[in-house]
Amino acid sequence: MFNKYTWIVLKKELTDIFRDKKTIITSILIPILVFPILAFVIGSSTDQFLGQNNNPVDMALISEEENKLEEFLKANDNVNIIEVENPQEALKELDIKVILKIDKGFDERIERGEAGNIEFIYDITSSRSDMAQSRLNGIIGEFSHSITLSKLEELGISSQILNPINIEKTILENQQADQGIGLMILSIILPLMLTVWSAVGGMAAATDLGVGEKERQTLEPLLTTKASRLSLLMGKYFAVVVAGILGTLAALTGFGIASEINPNFTGSGVTMPIQSIIAIGILCIGLALIFSALELTISFYARSFKEAQTYLSPMTIIVMIPAYFTMYLDGKEIPDLFLHIPIINTISIIKESIVGVFNIEHILIVAGWTIVYIGLALFFTVRMFNKESVIFRS
Amino acid sequence: MIQVKGLTKIFKKVEAVKNVSFTVEKGTVFGLLGENGAGKTTTLRILATMLKPTSGTASIDGTDLLVDPEEVRSKIGILFGGETGLYDRLTARENIKYFGLLNGMSKEEVSRRINELSDILDMQEYIDRRAGKFSKGMKQKVSIARSIVHNPEIMLFDEPTSGLDVTAVRMVHDFIKRLKDQGKTIIFSSHSMNEVEKLCDVVGVIHKGKIIEVSTVKNLREKYNNMELEDIFVELVGDKNV
Ligand SMILES: Nc1ncnc2c1ncn2[C@@H]1O[C@H](COP(=O)(O)OP(=O)(O)OP(=O)(O)O)[C@@H](O)[C@H]1O
Ligand SMILES: [Mg+2]
Repeated sequence: MFNKYTWIVLKKELTDIFRDKKTIITSILIPILVFPILAFVIGSSTDQFLGQNNNPVDMALISEEENKLEEFLKANDNVNIIEVENPQEALKELDIKVILKIDKGFDERIERGEAGNIEFIYDITSSRSDMAQSRLNGIIGEFSHSITLSKLEELGISSQILNPINIEKTILENQQADQGIGLMILSIILPLMLTVWSAVGGMAAATDLGVGEKERQTLEPLLTTKASRLSLLMGKYFAVVVAGILGTLAALTGFGIASEINPNFTGSGVTMPIQSIIAIGILCIGLALIFSALELTISFYARSFKEAQTYLSPMTIIVMIPAYFTMYLDGKEIPDLFLHIPIINTISIIKESIVGVFNIEHILIVAGWTIVYIGLALFFTVRMFNKESVIFRS
Repeated sequence: MIQVKGLTKIFKKVEAVKNVSFTVEKGTVFGLLGENGAGKTTTLRILATMLKPTSGTASIDGTDLLVDPEEVRSKIGILFGGETGLYDRLTARENIKYFGLLNGMSKEEVSRRINELSDILDMQEYIDRRAGKFSKGMKQKVSIARSIVHNPEIMLFDEPTSGLDVTAVRMVHDFIKRLKDQGKTIIFSSHSMNEVEKLCDVVGVIHKGKIIEVSTVKNLREKYNNMELEDIFVELVGDKNV
C-alpha cells in the first residue's frame, strides 16, 4: 500500500498544499489564532463581569420620608445612590441600574413586627440591571438579617435558632477548590476541538487533491503514468491525513498559547497521564484517517470544486453534532454504547483522561472500532477512485 | 508496434467504440480521423489503460494491456489537447520531474532529461518559474515535455492542437515530425483532414465508434480518384450514414 510512488505523490502534494496561501491560512493560521482570541475575549469579559461586581451598585432611591433602610444604604460602600430628575428615564438609559422605592411608614411597620414594603424597578432585558437588582437584594438581605437578629435578642432567643444545621464541604484528596471551573471548560472545549479538527482539518486539502486535480485536468495525465492507481490514491490520501493532523497540532498549539494568555481558560491542576495523551493522540490520528478517506471520496465524486464544497460543508456540522451532544458528558460515567460510535467514542476517551481515568479496555474498544471505520472508509475511497464513470465524469 | 484487436467500449447505454481493430507499425504515424464524439478519445484512453475495454484488447510492443497495464503505461506517453492542466504552484521543472519520477525514472535521469528537453523545446527562460502564470503556448510545451520525459517508444496524441494558435500548432507539428524521425510509433487523433495529411503515414477513419477505412493517404487518394481528402472523408462518412 505504501510504495515508492506513494511517497513521490505524498511529497509532491505536501509541497503543493503548503505553497497555497489559502490552505496555510485555513488549516494552520486560523487554528493557531482561534483559541488565543477566544481566551482573550473570555478573559476580558470575565474581568468586566468581575469589575461590575466590585463597583458599587448605581441606583436611585424614592422614599417620601427618612427611614433606617435609607440610612443603612447611604452608609454602605457597595451602593451608590444617585440623584436623578426622572428615575424611569435614567433607568432606561442605564445611568442607574435599579430604582428602589421605599413605602411610606416603612420603619413603623417593622417596629410593629410587620413586614416593611419596598419595591425594585429594573430592566430585565439588561444583564447589568438584573445583576444590580440581585446585588441590591443581597445587600438589603443583610439589613433584614440584622433586624431579625436584634428582634431575637429583644425576645431573649439565641440567633443559633436560625442555623439549626452546620454544613461542611470537603473535596477529595489531590483536588483543588479552584479546579472545578477550569476543568469544566477544558473537558468541554478540548474534546470538541481535538475531534472536530482531526476530522475536518484535511478538508481543504482533500478538495484540492481530488476534484481540484480533475478540474485542473491533471488527473488524466497522472493516470497514464507507470504508478498504479492505488499508489497514486494512497499518496494523496496520506497527504490529506498529514494536512489534517497538522491542523490539529496547530489548534493544540493555539490552545497552549491560549492557556498562557488566560490561565482560567484551561484551569490549573489538570494533569493528564502520559499514556492517556499518547492514546488520545493515536485516536485523533485515527479520526483523521477515517475522515480524510471520506473527504477524498466525496471530492473525487464531485464534478467541480463548487460541488465538492456543497457536499463537504455539511460534514463539518455532522461532525459537530456528536461533539455538542456529548458536551456535558461526565468522564466518570461513560455509557458503554458511546464506545462504539465514531467521534463520540474518541470524545469519551478524552473526557475520561481529563478526569484522570485510564481505562485500557475502553481505549482498545475505541481503537478497534477506529480501525474498522478506517477500513470501511478506505474501501469506499478506493472503489470511487477506480470507477470510470466517476473519474471521467463531466 | 501497436496491435488493436476488436476493441469495444460501452458506457451504460452509449457504444463509444465498436469492434475496432488496426495495427500501427513501429516508426509510423497513424492518424485517427473522426468527427466529434466518434470515439477517438475513448480509443486512446483504452490504449493508455485509463479505461478498461468492454471486450477486445490491444498490445503495445507485445505487452497486452489487460495483462500488464503498468508495463504498458511505462512504454507510452500521451498528450491531450484542449485546456492543458499543470500544477500552478509548481515550477515547470517540478511539473515535469513529478511525471518522470512517477514513470519510474531516477532523480538523476529526470534532471538530465529535463535539461535536454528544456533545450529542445526552448524552455530555459521559464523552466524554474511557477506554471500558474504561463501562456497557453508555454503550458503546451511543458505538457509535451511532461508526456515524453520518460522517452517512451510510443506516443499517443489526442487532438493536441485543438485551441492553440498558429505558432503553437506549428510547434506541436514540428515536434511530432521530430519524434517520427527518431523512429517513435505514434497515434495521432484529429478531426482535421489537413493535419492528418501533413503528418500521418496511415489514416484510420473512425465514425460512430467504428473504423470505416484504414489506408495510406496515397491509397485513399487513388481509391477515390484523387479527390481532396476532405471530400473523401465526407464521402466515407456520408456512405455510412445512409
Ligand atoms: N465517461 C463516459 N461516460 C459516458 N459516455 C461517454 C464517456 N466518455 C465518452 N462517452 C461517449 O462516447 C462517445 C465517444 O466519445 P469520445 O470522447 O471518445 O469521442 P471523440 O472522438 O474523442 O470526440 P471529440 O472530438 O469530441 O473529442 C460519445 O458519444 C461520448 O458522449
Ligand atoms: Mg476527444
